[in-house]
Amino acid sequence: MVEKNKEYFQKLADQLMFHLSDEEAEELVKEFGTLEKQFSLMEEIDTDGVEEMIYPFEEPTTYIRKDVADHVITQDDAMANVTKKLEGHFVLPKVVK
Amino acid sequence: MEYKATIGIEIHCQLKTNTKMFSGAPTSFGRKANTCVNEIDLGHPGTLPAVNQEAIKKAIQACTALHLTIDPLVKFDRKNYYYSDLPKGFQITQQFHPIGRDGYIEIPTSTGKKKIGIERIHMEEDTAKQFHLTKFSLLDFNRAGTPLIEIVSRPDMKSGEEAESYVEALRQTLFYIGVSDCKMEEGSMRCDVNVSIAPKGSDHLGVKNEIKNLNSISHVGKAVEYEIKRQTELLEAGEVVHQETRRYDEKTNTTVMMRRKEGSVDYKFFPEPNIFPIQLDPSWIKDIQEHMPELPEARKERYAKEYGLNEHDIRILIADMEMSKFFEEVMKYTKNAKAACNWLLGEVSAWLNKHETSIDKSDLKPDMLAKMIALVDDGKVSSAQAKQLCDDLMEGKDPEKAAEEKGLKQVSDTGALTAMVNEVLDTNAQAIEDYKNGKGRAVGFLVGQVMKKSKGQANPGMVSKILEEELKKRI
Amino acid sequence: MIKEMVNHPEDIAERCQQAYEKAQASQDKLNAVITFVDPKEQLEKLPSQGLLRGVPIAIKDNVCTKGVRTTSGSKILSNYVPVYDATITKKLEEAGAVCIAKTSMDELAMGGTNLTSFIGPAHNPWDTDRITGGSSGGSAALVAAGIVPMAIGSDTGDSVRKPASFCGIVGVKPTYGRISRYGVIPYTSSLDHVGYFTRSVEDACVSLQVLAGRDDLDLTSSNRPVPDYSQALNESVEGKKIAILANVVESVSNPETKDMFNKLVEKLKQAGAIVEEYHFDDKLMKAILPTYFTIANCEAASNHSNLDGIRFGVREDGADMKEIMTNSRTKGFGPLIRRRFVIGSYGLFEENQERIFRKAQKVRRLIVNAMKDCFKEYDCIIAPASSNIAPLINDKNDGDKLSADYLVAENYMAMANFSGDPSMTVPMGFESGCPIGVNLTCNAWQEETMFTIAKAIEDITGYKDLQTEVK
Repeated sequence: MVEKNKEYFQKLADQLMFHLSDEEAEELVKEFGTLEKQFSLMEEIDTDGVEEMIYPFEEPTTYIRKDVADHVITQDDAMANVTKKLEGHFVLPKVVK
Repeated sequence: MEYKATIGIEIHCQLKTNTKMFSGAPTSFGRKANTCVNEIDLGHPGTLPAVNQEAIKKAIQACTALHLTIDPLVKFDRKNYYYSDLPKGFQITQQFHPIGRDGYIEIPTSTGKKKIGIERIHMEEDTAKQFHLTKFSLLDFNRAGTPLIEIVSRPDMKSGEEAESYVEALRQTLFYIGVSDCKMEEGSMRCDVNVSIAPKGSDHLGVKNEIKNLNSISHVGKAVEYEIKRQTELLEAGEVVHQETRRYDEKTNTTVMMRRKEGSVDYKFFPEPNIFPIQLDPSWIKDIQEHMPELPEARKERYAKEYGLNEHDIRILIADMEMSKFFEEVMKYTKNAKAACNWLLGEVSAWLNKHETSIDKSDLKPDMLAKMIALVDDGKVSSAQAKQLCDDLMEGKDPEKAAEEKGLKQVSDTGALTAMVNEVLDTNAQAIEDYKNGKGRAVGFLVGQVMKKSKGQANPGMVSKILEEELKKRI
Repeated sequence: MIKEMVNHPEDIAERCQQAYEKAQASQDKLNAVITFVDPKEQLEKLPSQGLLRGVPIAIKDNVCTKGVRTTSGSKILSNYVPVYDATITKKLEEAGAVCIAKTSMDELAMGGTNLTSFIGPAHNPWDTDRITGGSSGGSAALVAAGIVPMAIGSDTGDSVRKPASFCGIVGVKPTYGRISRYGVIPYTSSLDHVGYFTRSVEDACVSLQVLAGRDDLDLTSSNRPVPDYSQALNESVEGKKIAILANVVESVSNPETKDMFNKLVEKLKQAGAIVEEYHFDDKLMKAILPTYFTIANCEAASNHSNLDGIRFGVREDGADMKEIMTNSRTKGFGPLIRRRFVIGSYGLFEENQERIFRKAQKVRRLIVNAMKDCFKEYDCIIAPASSNIAPLINDKNDGDKLSADYLVAENYMAMANFSGDPSMTVPMGFESGCPIGVNLTCNAWQEETMFTIAKAIEDITGYKDLQTEVK
């Protein structure tokens, strides 16, 4: 198993599109120790044959939205929260492939 | 050593719906950027998905046409990754419970029909469109959230020909039942092909290479053939085939590496918590399945039985759904299926090609084409004359009136024709002599002379008949 | 209070203006507001009638308000102006409510202290050196300070019910699906509930009347008819079977709290309720917090992947897409949030999911099954909302994170988020001049029973319209 050290968590953070500073990552390493102990409280419980509970209620629904185009916003609204725009498009520096 | 290829294909198809997979914004093609969106499509904070009924219906139709078993409990999952064209930072898809499983499609190959297995069909949402300029990339979210189905084949194909035939068969089927536009060049149908090579007789598969985003059916075949050749050569030279993502290069007819795959990406799939499982009404599913549009295979059989057309003609006619639709319209006004088919595949298609348009956009009317067929059948205009009337016909004119205007009426009057024949015979003693000596060519020559004299307006069938009669009189 | 206000339409303009000014005046002390909303424009468009007509309210800043900045307490959204209204924003507007403030909250609702908002901590009006609790702390503070009679919050673990306890007010989290979540910036979709604060059970009934109902934009919202909640106030607690959550009471380390709770129980019995001790499996109780933490962080890491600075929010410079996203998210999220995203993402890895995320989902089921067993016999589960009054803001002593007091007494309320059952906190008493609440949870869709029992408690304690002047 990979050691859960500072570098491990920093690499993980990078995959989530943000950085963790050295101090932040160190703190996470410490937190993770407590967390593993808390996880073990969960692990102690026998869940053999138990299904995951994904939603609070499990009666399936039957509603499906009708295919009617009744919910659209203007281009101005779509672009209202950005400053960089070009002819109605969002602008990014060229994506490096 | 001999090698065998194993080919599997994943196809993404945009569904023909009015709205997005999870929002009530309109779907669009070629509309002004970011005008067919709402806050859901842009992944604004606080938004939630609402599943589109028509998308489910279209997916059920696709599953039915391809013989998949439908799961009446619809569930969705999240596929997590970051990219600028993916507004929520995850795509809602059906990783764990696809709507359909275990189907097949029959494809024609040079060695006969073959069944290709389809592992699954699942619903998901499309990403935004990126335009790459020299300095910038521009983002348009009109496409974001467009309903898609992904069709995953079993690795049942062995050659470029089979791969091509599979994609064509799928395209035709999905287009026919109105599930998708299936325009590969416009991206409403996208194709990724996996190819691996292993020694014949070995029971393990070779290293898989994926060729992404093939945008025409012929490219599928060419890319697969090249890839088989490339991998075979590598193995024969004792080299290793790496697991790669490749693309097809049209200019060189080869595949080019995009990136090497190192371990698989972890998309951290988990069930979408904002969509409770949806229990589909069994009677709704049954209703959809009982009212399926006609599939191409069924139509082929019907055309043979009902119209007596030959297999070759049927195949061409059916390949273009609009043409096939038009053919059936024409058949409401005529009984001559062969002539209708010949017209559509011959003169009409040529005219459409020349004018770069399609049957549904042209002014040609089914009843007018039927009238044209009747004019020829009744001997009122000759085939040759009919061809001269093609432009008028295609512009929506009544062929009978057009023929009159152009003075293109075929002479079918027995008296006039007999007089003309005798005039020709009177001036061609040698030909009569030849005929007496049993030279069959003489009749053809004489018919030609009569036609020439009539400036092409004589009914050739009648001319031959009368000529034979008059010749016999002179022997 | 709400009825009184609605019955005096002649005071609307002055009342709303006053609330707006009072909120501004309190900001130095409470720091409870992220964005003030001038009531003038809303007053002009006021509907002719409505259950909240002319009532000044505050809305937690994770509820989208068209044209009014909505930050979810995070720097990355500190410039975000929604182009759409949350469904409840519309419902409140239609009922005639006048929003005067978007309130402070823990960043992205991921906290229980209200110390992590990008504008800094919110202060408890009862003692400004103390926390309000979170994550809906700003809303709780404005209601407790008597500035508004009702404020919207959201509750994923106890984010309404805990601050209600610390601020001496009523905090309600109805059944999952009772109130639409459309337009509420999420924390954990499968645990998130819209909730709210009031200063009386009566007002709690009116507020739910306005907020509840099916919304086709939220597929998890319920089609069940919305009853007349105020009817519950006329019902008697007599014969109601109430289970004391004994595991919690035993874990409460503070004897004063225990004593206060026991006295309340005696009076409930005197009022005719049948109140009995009920034990849950202790192992399950201790697993509530890690189960909550796991599900919450895993879903949150995914839910907030849309915050990348590209289509909205604060965008930092970068040479390409990846750099822009990374810089925006690094600077836009506080360190706590980033650490929790990492933890959540760790639990979602294919190699860890079975051991962490799916394990938590399985334990969730066992806890919910245990609750459903209890509800076969009882109408309600009751326990102190926390062991102690609100901690001091500068209290750096985290305490033992594996103690029963921490794991059970301070963090058990998330069980009602697991089950989606309605749960609320009402004031129970005071220690050192600061309030502490009692929590009650009923079976799904039994809000009326919950309000009946809450009203009985309110009658016993006399803590109705509890508020404090901000000094």
